[in-house]
Amino acid sequence: MLYQPDTYKIEQDLSRFGRTGNDIFIPGATEEGLRQYRRLLRNNINNTMVQAFPISRQVLPDDEWNELINLFFADHDAKTAQIWKLPAEFVTFVKEKDYATLWSKPWLNDLLYFEWIEIEVYTMPDIEAEPFTLQGDIRNGTIVVNPEYRLIPLRYPVHLYAVEEAKNHPGDYFMMVYRHPETREVLFADLSALDTFTFENIAHEQLSLSDIAAGLKLQFALSDQHPLLTNMIAFVQEMMAQKLFLGYAEERK
Amino acid sequence: MGFRRDIADAFLKTNEINPDFVEVAPENWINMGGYWGAQFKEVSHRFPVFLHGLSLSIGSPDELDLAFLRQVKNFIAEHDVRVYSEHLSFAKMDNAHLYDLLPIPFREDSVKHLVARIKQVQDFLEMPIAIENVSYYTPVAAQMTESEFINQIVSQSGCNLLLDVNNVYVNAFNHHYDPYEFISGMPLDRVAYIHMAGHEQVSPTLIVDTHGEAIIDPVYDLFDFTVAKLKPVPVLLERDFNFPEIRMLNHEMNQLRSIVNKYWIKDVVPA
Ligand SMILES: [Fe+2]
Repeated sequence: MLYQPDTYKIEQDLSRFGRTGNDIFIPGATEEGLRQYRRLLRNNINNTMVQAFPISRQVLPDDEWNELINLFFADHDAKTAQIWKLPAEFVTFVKEKDYATLWSKPWLNDLLYFEWIEIEVYTMPDIEAEPFTLQGDIRNGTIVVNPEYRLIPLRYPVHLYAVEEAKNHPGDYFMMVYRHPETREVLFADLSALDTFTFENIAHEQLSLSDIAAGLKLQFALSDQHPLLTNMIAFVQEMMAQKLFLGYAEERK
Repeated sequence: MGFRRDIADAFLKTNEINPDFVEVAPENWINMGGYWGAQFKEVSHRFPVFLHGLSLSIGSPDELDLAFLRQVKNFIAEHDVRVYSEHLSFAKMDNAHLYDLLPIPFREDSVKHLVARIKQVQDFLEMPIAIENVSYYTPVAAQMTESEFINQIVSQSGCNLLLDVNNVYVNAFNHHYDPYEFISGMPLDRVAYIHMAGHEQVSPTLIVDTHGEAIIDPVYDLFDFTVAKLKPVPVLLERDFNFPEIRMLNHEMNQLRSIVNKYWIKDVVPA
């Protein structure tokens, strides 16, 4: 670094002013020009967040939203070189500062996360799926998962209700967010606990539905695994039509 | 022309915009998958791609982000990019990105710093880069003129100059100098690329470089004056938002073409 300390400080002051609007003195600088930088920089951050979190922006009162933006810009050192990824840092910032508790908005973290995940899934780098065929044995075959997904747990069902309603239904929710392999649109599905369990065993253990049901029967000493299996088959059939599952792995000969 | 999502269909589906090259910010496209990743692949397949960076922050004291620069380098290779340019400004301070272009004090020590940084980037990428003169809205503790500053950096670093003619106009207005004299004082043999854009006057004393308006006549005049002094180089129409009808964009491109054709051979056309 070849800057002299005073040159360094001038840039630092300009940056601090842009991030906070707090008074600074820079030799030769005009007040109008400085205020313009503050306006441009803050607008940029605000617009990025408004675009990423349209629902949160709408449900938060102006003063709370503006406070979040101001604090985030002033206190958080933005790490990504790509501004469209900055909303992910915003989600973490709001969670760490615990505004959900501070402002008695217990659903806030879930709502921000829910809104960000849609962008993340929409933009994430392409992932190649395992080879598959459309014909297969739904009970005993290996089911191939669409790899472009995020399965996220939520405490408040912000994916099902408006926040005023969602806050009355805390629980354990699992939201599947995935990208349609052809249209590349983002799709959402609310999964039950059993669906989630089934999905994770398919995705991570490559187990067949029969194996998963048999395991559950053993674990919970069930007399009959049939109702479970019926449920799982219905889930997989439905989500295969919706392209969360792509098909069946080719049989190893 | 700059490739932006809002006007993507005019490039890829309707062919209403058919430029000789497109410019994009690498920050907007690196690691992008899905629908837009596929759109970008098609763009880079159909048009030569020029990269115009935003976040490298050549003018800040922070260490260069080499991990990011590595991604840019891979992106350059992957999309067969011919030109990578960045700004004569800083966009990062105290390890925090600011996502805008802030002015560097025009001083001896900043010249030394910038020269070293530009060389570091060129060595890393194994290609020359072009550096753009930026619009700025307040002087910051200058100890030399903007013209001296740019001349010293270009001559000492060996980089090319991306001459943004609109920025010269904006700065001349904001800081009360003569834009024609300024252009004449630039290292014109090092100009590798030209930007043309619109701007917005926000008060009687301040113009902001918005890329959201049509180019105004005095900037066309300045462009004409500039082109007459240069060897042929690519010319970009910058438009980032507030898009008009496509025919209006093409009208602007044609205006630029007709000026260029007065001075340059036919096969170099603005895009
Ligand atoms: Fe420019």
